[in-house]
Amino acid sequence: MVPFRLTAAPRALAVALALLVLPFLLNPIDPAQAHEGHDHGAPQAPVSKTIAPRGEASSSAFELVAIPRGDALVLYLDRFATGEPITDATLEVETPSGPARAEAAPDGSYRLPAPWLAKRDPKDDHLDLVVTVTAGSDVDVLPLAVALPKAAEPAEAEHAGEHEGEGWLHALTEHLTERFAARDPGAGLAAAGGFVLGLATMGLMRAGRRAPVLAVLVLAATLVLGATAFAHEGADHSHPESRAAFVPPPTDLAQRLPDGTVFVPKPTQRLLSLRTQVAAEAGYRRTVSLPGRIIPDPNASGVVQSSVGGRLAPPPSGIFPRLGTRVRPGEVLALVTPPVQRVDLSDMRQRQGELDQQIAIVQRRVDRYLKLAPGGAVSQVQLDEAQDELKGLKDRRSALDRIRLEPEVLTAPVGGVIAEAAAVAGQMANPGQMVFQIVDPAKLWVEALSFDALTPAADATARLADGRSLPLAYQGAGLADRNQAIPVQFAIQAGAEGLRVGQFVTVLAATDAEQRGLALPRASVVRTANGQDVVYAHTGAERYEAQAVRVAPLDGTRILVEAGVKPGTRVVVQGAELLDQVR
Amino acid sequence: MLIRRFLTAAALAIALPLCAHHACAHEGAGHNGGRIADAGPYHIELVTKGKTVEVTIYDAKEKPVSPAGFKGTAILVVGGKPARVVLTPAAARLTGEAEMALGANPKGVVQITGPDGAAASGKFN
Repeated sequence: MVPFRLTAAPRALAVALALLVLPFLLNPIDPAQAHEGHDHGAPQAPVSKTIAPRGEASSSAFELVAIPRGDALVLYLDRFATGEPITDATLEVETPSGPARAEAAPDGSYRLPAPWLAKRDPKDDHLDLVVTVTAGSDVDVLPLAVALPKAAEPAEAEHAGEHEGEGWLHALTEHLTERFAARDPGAGLAAAGGFVLGLATMGLMRAGRRAPVLAVLVLAATLVLGATAFAHEGADHSHPESRAAFVPPPTDLAQRLPDGTVFVPKPTQRLLSLRTQVAAEAGYRRTVSLPGRIIPDPNASGVVQSSVGGRLAPPPSGIFPRLGTRVRPGEVLALVTPPVQRVDLSDMRQRQGELDQQIAIVQRRVDRYLKLAPGGAVSQVQLDEAQDELKGLKDRRSALDRIRLEPEVLTAPVGGVIAEAAAVAGQMANPGQMVFQIVDPAKLWVEALSFDALTPAADATARLADGRSLPLAYQGAGLADRNQAIPVQFAIQAGAEGLRVGQFVTVLAATDAEQRGLALPRASVVRTANGQDVVYAHTGAERYEAQAVRVAPLDGTRILVEAGVKPGTRVVVQGAELLDQVR
Repeated sequence: MLIRRFLTAAALAIALPLCAHHACAHEGAGHNGGRIADAGPYHIELVTKGKTVEVTIYDAKEKPVSPAGFKGTAILVVGGKPARVVLTPAAARLTGEAEMALGANPKGVVQITGPDGAAASGKFN
């Protein structure tokens, strides 16, 4: 029988192995590999049993998905490039019973009553429609092939006939295959049992004993026949079609398909608000990222310092401005009363006494001259001189009093917000000590340390820890090294709300070096569990495919995809993180 | 010698189906100077002259199919507006009249319904 002569034991081994392999060899051929002939119109069947049959069509402007639901057809229309839903379009559908219009439903879909779905030939597995879409100024005609749910009865009959012809062996192998596929330990045990029986038979045959061999064979036959009977009994619930009776109808769940793509039905896409962008290749200038921190604009901030040492007192309003209080330029913030030393005090007392004495003398002289002047005994000149002297002395006396009492007024040099306050009533302030710092929160700068000289024209952005990014304008760079780097200053142009002075930021400044690639928003790149960066390409109306990419930083909001995505691919730029969670 | 003959035969066996496939490529000019597109099991050729729409049906081997029993609808975009043209069998093809002049190469879709009731459509860009 065989050209090679084997000894009994290896032959037994071979027979047993062949028995093991048989069910796998008889595995039905994957229907996807079967050639369907010359039929371009039929839509591909859904891969998963939990996805309802559907059809999709797309043009350069629109993407359309149609799902038969009972006696109606539900249509979803989106923009092709961005994935934005279009809810106010006009959809004229060429149906088997003439043209009809799909009505917009409140959930953003369109509904086309389809009584002809029920009347169709049960053999039809798909339906060809033509949909004319008018959305604003865009008009397109889309041929749409919709897969239809299989009619249950004919399929079952067909399957039964098939089984009649192929007999119990096929039923048994299919049963075993399914049990293997379901990782049933029983199937494995049966296979192992067969293996052991084969070994036993061969061993007994070699020993030349006929009767036990016969007994073992009879035992094996009984087992096989029993299993066949069992398989026939179980056939009803091992059939996919009849099993469908127990499985709930397809619910269209977002899922990761066996081929690695992610299926997301249109309603879920809208829930996750997935948006795409057609990736285009272009040249971008490379950016360097620099550590930086926020500083106040030197022209829009100021400090309030006391020029003399003295006791701090609140302004006439009675309270010191608190942190965060908005102040106007020139507003009084505090008063400083300089202390008078003891020796100065005695000096002043002495001077006061002298002045009081002189004032008294001159006062009496003025009184006397006033009486004598009308009579001509004293000249008018003498009277005037005495009066001037008295006035001068009184001024000096009052100035001495004022110096003792008048404090220094501390005013705000610029308008802004109190960023720092060190004022406590009664506190002694040293000369030159900062009492308040005023910062205009709308005018902030960023100071960054750069290791290479930046060109003044270079555009830069600052990225915050919370992901926000701010546009920056180059202001200037120092020449003196600081930690082997030069300080570079940028003005924040917009979005300075909520920033703190001293906060750390990452400055991304463009350099002269240019690199080519596809610029995508930062949110479109997702890091997978194995640490690889991927983007999701929108390959079909409801299919997304993860594509591994190599990325380089570009600026605060975008990253540069250097490899992995072809230009023209629709890449998910919004909701990629949510898409990655689909299992 | 035998090996060489065998190799030639093998090369032919591989090349012939490829050639045939290329000969069957559907885009391009048809027998009547129109455009050809796939529609289900058929190939259809669209010719527009003024207001007249003419659609010729071929089978998979580019042999003309009699239009008897066929119905058809052409929806063509002309000047940003869709024009619906009903096609009826006439002589060797399906014809119909549009309400306005269609221009040289209007884009759109032609849907044909065969005698068995199965519809198929072809897209012209």
